[in-house]
Formats: sequence, C-alpha cells, structure tokens
Amino acid sequence: MDGCRSGVPTYEGDLHVVAAAHHIVKALGATKNLSDDLRKILIDLDSHLSMITSNIDSKGGRGLVDVEERLDQAERKIMRWETDPMMIWDSGPKEASDYLEAVDETGKLVDGLRGLSVHENRKQKEILHRAMNIFQTAMSRLEEELIHILVRHGQQFEPKNMYSRSIRKDIVYDESFVSVEDEPTKETSSQNCSNDESGECIVDLVHADVIPDIKSIAKVMFTSNYGPEFCEAFISVQKEALEQYFSFLGTEYLSIEDVLKMEWTCLSSKMNKWTWSMKIIVRVYLASEKQLCDQVLGGLGSVSSYCFLEISKATILCLLNFGEAVAMGPHRPEKLLRLLDMYETLADLLRDIDTLFSEEAGSFIQLQFHELLERLGESAIAAFKAFRVAISSNGSLYPFAGGGVHPLNKYVMNYIRMFPEYWNTLNLLLKNQHPGVADQVTKPDYGPDTSLLTSCPMAYHLRSITSCLESNLHKKSQLYKDEALQHIFLMNNIHYLVQKVKGSELRLFFGDEWIRKHNAMFQQHAMNYERATWSSVVSFLKDNNPGSSSMSKSTFKERCKGFSIAFEEVYKTQTSWSIPDPQLREDLRISTSLKVVLAYRTFLGRNLAYTDDKCVKHTVEHVENLLLDLFGGSSRSLRNSRRW
Amino acid sequence: MTGTDQSSFLGRISIRRNQVNAMEGYHEQEIEDLELFQKQLSDRFAELLSAPDDAPTEAFLSISWIRKLLDVFLCCETECKAILLMERDAAQISKPPLDRLIPELLERVVKAMDICNAATNGVELVRHCQKLAEIAVSALEQKPFGEGQARRAKKALVSLMSAMHVDDKESSVQKTAERSWSFGRRSGNKDRHHGHYRSLSWQVAKHWSASKQIHAMTMNLAAPRGPEASCLPAPVYILSLIIVFVMWVLIAAIPCQERSGLTTHLPINKHVNWTHSLAGIHDKIGEEWKKKEKKGMAGLLYEMQKMEKLGQSLIEFTDSYQFPGEKEKLDEVAAQVAELAEVCRRMDEGLVPLQMLIREAFHRLVRNRTEFLDVLEQGAPVV
Repeated sequence: MDGCRSGVPTYEGDLHVVAAAHHIVKALGATKNLSDDLRKILIDLDSHLSMITSNIDSKGGRGLVDVEERLDQAERKIMRWETDPMMIWDSGPKEASDYLEAVDETGKLVDGLRGLSVHENRKQKEILHRAMNIFQTAMSRLEEELIHILVRHGQQFEPKNMYSRSIRKDIVYDESFVSVEDEPTKETSSQNCSNDESGECIVDLVHADVIPDIKSIAKVMFTSNYGPEFCEAFISVQKEALEQYFSFLGTEYLSIEDVLKMEWTCLSSKMNKWTWSMKIIVRVYLASEKQLCDQVLGGLGSVSSYCFLEISKATILCLLNFGEAVAMGPHRPEKLLRLLDMYETLADLLRDIDTLFSEEAGSFIQLQFHELLERLGESAIAAFKAFRVAISSNGSLYPFAGGGVHPLNKYVMNYIRMFPEYWNTLNLLLKNQHPGVADQVTKPDYGPDTSLLTSCPMAYHLRSITSCLESNLHKKSQLYKDEALQHIFLMNNIHYLVQKVKGSELRLFFGDEWIRKHNAMFQQHAMNYERATWSSVVSFLKDNNPGSSSMSKSTFKERCKGFSIAFEEVYKTQTSWSIPDPQLREDLRISTSLKVVLAYRTFLGRNLAYTDDKCVKHTVEHVENLLLDLFGGSSRSLRNSRRW
Repeated sequence: MTGTDQSSFLGRISIRRNQVNAMEGYHEQEIEDLELFQKQLSDRFAELLSAPDDAPTEAFLSISWIRKLLDVFLCCETECKAILLMERDAAQISKPPLDRLIPELLERVVKAMDICNAATNGVELVRHCQKLAEIAVSALEQKPFGEGQARRAKKALVSLMSAMHVDDKESSVQKTAERSWSFGRRSGNKDRHHGHYRSLSWQVAKHWSASKQIHAMTMNLAAPRGPEASCLPAPVYILSLIIVFVMWVLIAAIPCQERSGLTTHLPINKHVNWTHSLAGIHDKIGEEWKKKEKKGMAGLLYEMQKMEKLGQSLIEFTDSYQFPGEKEKLDEVAAQVAELAEVCRRMDEGLVPLQMLIREAFHRLVRNRTEFLDVLEQGAPVV
C-alpha cells in the first residue's frame, strides 16, 4: 500500500550483514562461466538486497514489523478467496491481477526471508513459516483456478464440416462377396471434400481470451517450483477433454476380440468412422492441442512436448489398437477398399505424426504408427489376394437363367471400378506381388504407344483379375446345354466387362488393345450365336438346286412347315433369354433380322406361286415383328397366341 | 537365460528338422527337443521364483522382475513356436486333436492381446502415481520444512492414494464419463481432481473385464495325458499355459479394468517337472492377491506396494505435523522420503521400457497368430 513493493528490512544490527551479502553477490555476479540459472539467481538476489538497503535507509529500519505488515496485506488478499464461493478468474481481471500480485509479493517475501535466515531469529522464522503457508494456499488455489479455466473455457468444435464422411466412395459397397444380387447403388457423391484435405486446420481448444490467464498462472507456478502440479492438472483436464471429444465423434472403445467378432456391415462402418476420426483427431485436434501446449508452456523446454504426449497417448493408442484389430482380422475380399482407405489415411498422416511426436519420448508413438501402416498394407494385399481367389473359386451348380450378366461379373467389375482411385497405393503395395501364372497370358503385347498406366503393377493385376473372371465365366457358360445360350451368356458378360472398362478410368489401365480384343470377343460370340441358332432354321429356306427355277409344291410345303416349327421353337426358347443391354439387343436383332428375314423374303419371293397357300404360316412382316420379341427375358409361345 | 542359449536351441531344432524331415510321425529327436525346452523353462522360472521378496532392486514382482518375466515369455514364445512350426508339414498341425487345440490357443492369444492393452493403460496409471509421488517428495525435501510444504505434500499424497485405489469397477468409469462439463462450484473441482484418472481411455472396452478374460482363457486348458503328453499337444499346452500365466501376473501386478473376482487358481499340472517353479510363483502371487484383494488396491507391483505403504505413513505424518517438528520424527521421515524418492527413481527408469515391452509382447502375439493362421490355411484339407 505504501508503494514499497519489495525488499525485506532488517533490524539495524543486520544492516552490515546485508551489506556484506550484497558485496559477495556482486563479486560472484562478476564471475564469468556462470550458468544461466545461477546468474539469474544472483541478479534477483542483487536486486533484493539493493531494495533491502534502500528500504532500511528510507524507513529508518522498521524491520520485521514492516515485513509483517506486507505479509498481512498479501494474506488478506489471498485468504479472502478461501471462503468465497466464486472463482477468482471468473470475478474479473482486476481480481485476478490483484491475486497474482499478492502471490508475487508473498513469493518475494518468502525468498527474501529465506535468504536472511542465517541468523537464528525466532520472529523471522515464524514470519517465514507463515509466508510459506500462505504461499502454499495460493499455489493450491492457482491449480484449482487453472482447472476451472480450462474446463469452463474449453471449446468443442463441430466435426461436421471436416473431411466429410462420404469423401469419394459413397458407393455402397459393403455387401460381402457372396451376397451380390444387383447392381450397387450409384455413387451419391464424389470428391466433395478434399480442398482442406491437406490444409492445416487449427482450432482453439481453449478460448483464445483466456490463454494469457493460463500463461500467467503457468509462469507463477513454474517459477515457484510448482511446475509438476501445473502439469498434472493441465494434463488431466486436457486428456479428459480429448477423451470426451473422442466419444463425441462417436468412436467407441472396442476390444480386439470385439472387432474380430464383428459383422461385416458393422465393421465396415466402424472402419469408415475410424478413417474419419483419425484425420480429425490427428490433423485438427492434436495439431490444436500441440499449439495450445506450445502457447502455454512454450518457453519451458521439454515441458510442452511432455504434456502433449501425456494428453494424447492413450487416445492415440486406442485408435491404433482398432487398426491392429482390423489388420489381423480375416482377409475377406470385401474388406479391401476399407483397408485401403485406412492405409491411405495413415500414410497421409505420417508426416503430421512425425512432426507432432518429434521429441524422443514420442518416438514410441511414431513407431507404433509406422508398424500399423505396414500391417495394414500387408492386410490389404492379403485381401486383394483373397479377392482373386474368391473370383476363381466362385462356383455355380446351375446355369444362370436367361444368360444375362452374372452377379459375380457385376460385383467384380463394380468393385474394381473403384481401384483407379487407389492407384498410387495399390501400385506401391502390389509392386512386389506376382499376380501368378495367369498373368503371363494377359500381359499385353502392345505396340510402341503403350502408355505408362497400362504397364504399372496395378494394371497387370487388374488384367489378371479380369482374366480370372473371364475363365470363371467360361466355366459357368459350360453349364448351359444349349450352345447358342452359351454364346449369348458370354456375349452379354464380355460386353458388360468391356462397357465397364470403357465407361470408367479403368480404360486407362486396360488400354485400347485390350478393349479392341474384347470387343472382337463378344462380337465373335454374337456371330457364333447366330450360326448356332439360325443356320439350321435358315437352311429350310435354302434353294438346293440354284439352277432350276422353282421347287415343287410339296417341297415348298415341307420347307415352310419345317421353317415354321423351327422358328416357333426358337421363338419360344429365346424370348426367355435376356440381353440386358438395349443397344446390344438391338444390334443382335437387326443382324438376325437381316439374315432371317432376308432369307425368308427371298424364299417366298422365289415361290410366289404357292404363297397364298395355307402352308405359309407367317408373313415376312410377321416374322420381322416376332424377332423383336426375342431376348426380352420372358418366355412366349406362338401356339397360344395363334392368330389364325 | 541368454541370447546364445536361445539361438543355439533354435539352431538345434532347425538342424534336426532338416535331418528328420522326410520321416513320418513324431520322432524321438523331437521328444528330446521338448525335454530340453522344458528344462530351460524350468530354469528360467526357477530364477524368477528365487527373486528376493524385499530388495532395493530386482525384488519379486518389481518392475524389473516383470520385465524379466516378459523377456522369458518372449523367449518361450519363440521357442515353442519353433517346436510347433519350424520345418513342419502343415498337415500335421491340422490333424486332430490339434485342429481343436490350435484354434483354442489362438482364442487365448486374442484375449491376451486385449490384456496387454489393458496393462499398457495400467502402466499409465502407475506413471501418474509416480508423478504425484515425485511432487510429494519434492515438497517433503524442502528446507525449512513448514506446514505449507506439509500441506503440499499431503495434497499430492492424497491424490496419489485415490489414484492408487482407483475403483476398477465399470460403474465408476461410467460415472466419470457422464460427469457434467461445466461447474462453478469449487467442491466440484476437488472431486474432479481426485478422481481424474478414472478416465475413459482407461478402459479397453465397455463391459470388458480382465478377470473374466483370464477365466475364459483357462477354459479347456488341460495338460495332455498319455501319449499326447510327449507329442505336439504338449508344446501347445505349454504355450497356452505360459500365455495365461503371464497375463494373469500382469493383471495381478498392474492396475487393470475390472479385476474383481480374479481367479487365484490356474490349472497348472504340478506332476510335470518343469512346472514346479511356475507353480511356486503362482502360489506366492495367489496368496498375496487373496490378502490384498479385499482392500481394493493398486495391484501387487512391488513399487506400488512400497509407494502405498510409504504414502500412508507420510500422510499420517503430514496430518499431524506442526512446525517445527521433532528432530527424531523428522529424521525418520527423511528416511522414508529418501525411500519414496528411490521408488520414484526406479519407476522413472523402468516404466517406459516396461510399457514398450508389453507393447512388444502384444505385437509378438499378433504375429504369432498370423503365423499359425497361415499354417492352418496351408494345412487345411483341399476340398
């Protein structure tokens, strides 16, 4: 109150002691080779002693009485809060700075009194004891205030807009390999995040306004050797906040046993969630936490990184354990894309992790990350292999009705259509994997225009997968007794394969040559179909003796009848066959029409004389129309719908 | 046990296997390998059993003792796997009774992984205790020692005790998780600070229980009898038993989620020579557990026990302390503080390596499982 801020006056008898001490301190301070700490202590001491001397000079040595008065004042300021239900920092900046001032004052008195207690002076000891008591109360209080500020001003941020969940593959591909029936739903969104994918995103985990308050508490506590208490309190609150946020993201704590037993759909959504939470936790939350630690504890050596590690370790380990559990689970083919997501996320975050945990103590965490990345890579490769195995071993007992596009084909093609998205990762992982002997066959023998993409590891593997698929489809086609249907089935399926490749980025990896080859393949099957079905039918219409002008009526009648029966038979069977692609269906009808209708018209034209006979069951137009009914997928019969 | 012991043992098996590979069935040499392995096991556990109960270093159940135990575990695991898998025809592994025993072993391995993770969390709790004890030590070492420092020490020690006696029951974890975020009352702060280590990350998973895991791991764990006792089921049993045993020790020593009702009985076949020391360690820890369980405790870790005892005594001292205190009492306390400081120092040195070792054991179990699965896959009869 009287403006005397520091210094401890003494009894006059002590004056010479102070002077002597001052002298020694000055002499020591002049020494070179002092450690920074020691020098700082000497400077502090020097200023203390100067003030003591001046204090004695000006006050005429009121001595301990003066110290006691100052301690009384500080004590009043400190102790009044012990009965107040309000928190100091909630009560206003004035209150807070007054309190800190009182703490500072008490600290100085303690230091000063300690420096002087060379003499066995009871009174002096008593005051020191009291001051230390008050000081402890204040420190304990500061710890509470710290916790209160951190909790009260801790801020949660909404993860909603970050790394939006449906990043690129919102295509619903969670079905397991065996249960595919239909075409998967179309992609609902694509690439709708990614702008901030690599950008730093730091938020204030604690309101920016209170950072100076926290810093001022840190400063006082650390200079008074209460650093460990500060750290424990800071760590415990921030650690719990991180855990709360972790639950807030909807991430659960799961044992490895739980994960291994989980149903695929559930696991798949958990894997998705993991990928998403991992990004937010590392790139946003931990980056922000690191910043907070640095802001508050920046000037204190390794304290900041120690606190950061303690806060984040448990949560990080929990995330890593889920990854481990997923990686060790059964390598089912449907897991591949999710595993690749996890792998890419982790690979992407490694740099952040290495920066966040760059200190030696954090190398443990770094190491765990690297290990998990490796494990996920191995697991992805295993799932990739399982995918191939599943394709080759997918067996059927019965032919696929109608000869349409087989579900396996749909599943595989829709699945691998996603692969180009993972191009880099797959190339990296597959680099040392030999796709097997089958690949020798599929290795493309391209001309000089071979692009880089068609010869990358992923391209080899893709072609190897489709070649597995093709041979399986061939096997499946053998289940049809009707040779024509075998060709329809293969035509449909190879056409589908080519369409899927052409209509996606896959075409870059398969290359034009592959596409040409496969175009030719399904066209060949179309031709084979025509030959198998229509050659015998059309043979009725053939003129056996091209030399003579016309056939006998009985021959005509016989041929007509033969044609009708054969045609009706084909009509009956092939209306139930299916060609799902409208263009392909149209093309085949036209080409069939050309062949059959033309032959029929010529046949009738050449035998005009008999055409009014009842034996001509179908007019040319009628046949033309009936051909349009083929491959509609539902069986029809002409006998029931006889029009005459 | 030394590294050379192990590598020579593995080399021996490898050479043998190459020699006898072509031969059918279970060879005499293999019986010899198994015997040698059991002899080594017996020696290793005997060494662990002989650790002094109370010694400044290397005491029974101390951090360094547990690290030794884990080292033994890692060695046994490697050797056992070598006996089972090295140079062996995969078809042998998939024949009965191994087609049942190996999957059972792998289930135990999965449970052991979760226990390793629980123990890793537990070591974090021990480290937290260490930090609090360090605060108490630094307060108690202050000169002159006033009531202020006594209160500072007491505050840290009380926190230490409550952290130590953290209720490992599920309910308390739940309660903490649901605790409200905002509070202005100071009493709220106090509660918070005391219980703050009952955090969410302490749990392995909701409803997970260390004692139940151990119980499940002991199911069907029976020593092979008759002719099986000297062929492949034997190493499977040994590996299973050692995994269960080591995990059981970890749970008993290190705080873990839900340990109440932890069995004190493991099905150890005492009629075999090599299990004598193992059974000895088991009995000793079991007795200790029974004594302490009722009180609710931090675990049997030597350093924690020591810390608990010193902590209690120092709390009593700080409670009744009045400046300036009696010389005699102060000297006595100074000795205790020095002891506590020593415990802290040992924790400081040992806990991080221990945690890494537990993590290594975890990774080893992961790899071990993969290797067995690969062999099972190879050996699976072709359909």
